[in-house]
Amino acid sequence: MLPAVITQMRVKGLIFDPYNNAYIVVLRDEDNSDMLPIWVGKSEASAIGLALESVTAPRPMTHDLMRSFLDTFDAKIISVVITDLNDNTYFATIHLMYEDSEYTVDSRPSDAIALALRTSAPIFASEKVIKKQSSEELEQWLENLKPEDFGKLDT
Amino acid sequence: MDAAKQPDTSSELVALSVKQVLDDGNTDTRIVVLKSDDAGVTLPIWVGSAEGNAIRLAMDHVVTPRPMSHDLIRSFADHLGVRIERVVITDVKSSTYYASIALASKGLHRTLDARPSDAIALALRAGCPIYATQDVLNRRTAVHLDAWINRLDTNNTETQQA
Repeated sequence: MLPAVITQMRVKGLIFDPYNNAYIVVLRDEDNSDMLPIWVGKSEASAIGLALESVTAPRPMTHDLMRSFLDTFDAKIISVVITDLNDNTYFATIHLMYEDSEYTVDSRPSDAIALALRTSAPIFASEKVIKKQSSEELEQWLENLKPEDFGKLDT
Repeated sequence: MDAAKQPDTSSELVALSVKQVLDDGNTDTRIVVLKSDDAGVTLPIWVGSAEGNAIRLAMDHVVTPRPMSHDLIRSFADHLGVRIERVVITDVKSSTYYASIALASKGLHRTLDARPSDAIALALRAGCPIYATQDVLNRRTAVHLDAWINRLDTNNTETQQA
């Protein structure tokens, strides 16, 4: 069997990283063998956190607007893919279906994930990305985190 | 006077431009200052810091290494052949402003409900006009507003005197 080129991932949680004053979105594959941490800023984390907790904001947040933009023209998100990692910058693509054509749109992973969670679209990571980030040290650090570290976002 | 005979101007649209984005002192908010084209009316709208930064980036024509959220919306529009026609600040209720984004695609016209911060950030990236209804301008929290804005502006740009 050929190795799978992309792996489906689930958002396991958000962790605050006090050393970098940033948040880490933790993605894991189905059988918990691969893990992908993505560092994001506070507002990006908040956009993901609201969707994870199914919070409906009184006014549409930016990614709610994105969703209503796509909905209003019957454009569907088929999937989002975390495609590459260079110098700690992650790249993602959003795959859209609109009028029987598929479109691939370049995106930051934080936008792609925030949008995928709002549209129930699957999230994938390329094998390349998962291999690149296999930093043992980081794995160890994350493994040692206690469950209570996976807290809710303080806003 | 017979009010019924007066033309109702409340739904008329007034074109605005974004003059600046100010820091609001100690709080983590920004003030987006909109002015009518004849500079007669100022409309300040308080937004979050991330929202204010999204507007600042567009005002300064900063190209970020990766697309920001509003660049992504713009990119969706480009891919789908959707034109962003205009944004309108439509209403204000309990100090919360409401906006709409008018879109067109192949003769199809759609309007999306949005926060003014998203609408403005998108308008600046799409190069489309920004309007407010006359009604919103009439109802803005307007007492000595211009003087207040000017003072704030001075404080932002000069060292405060002890």
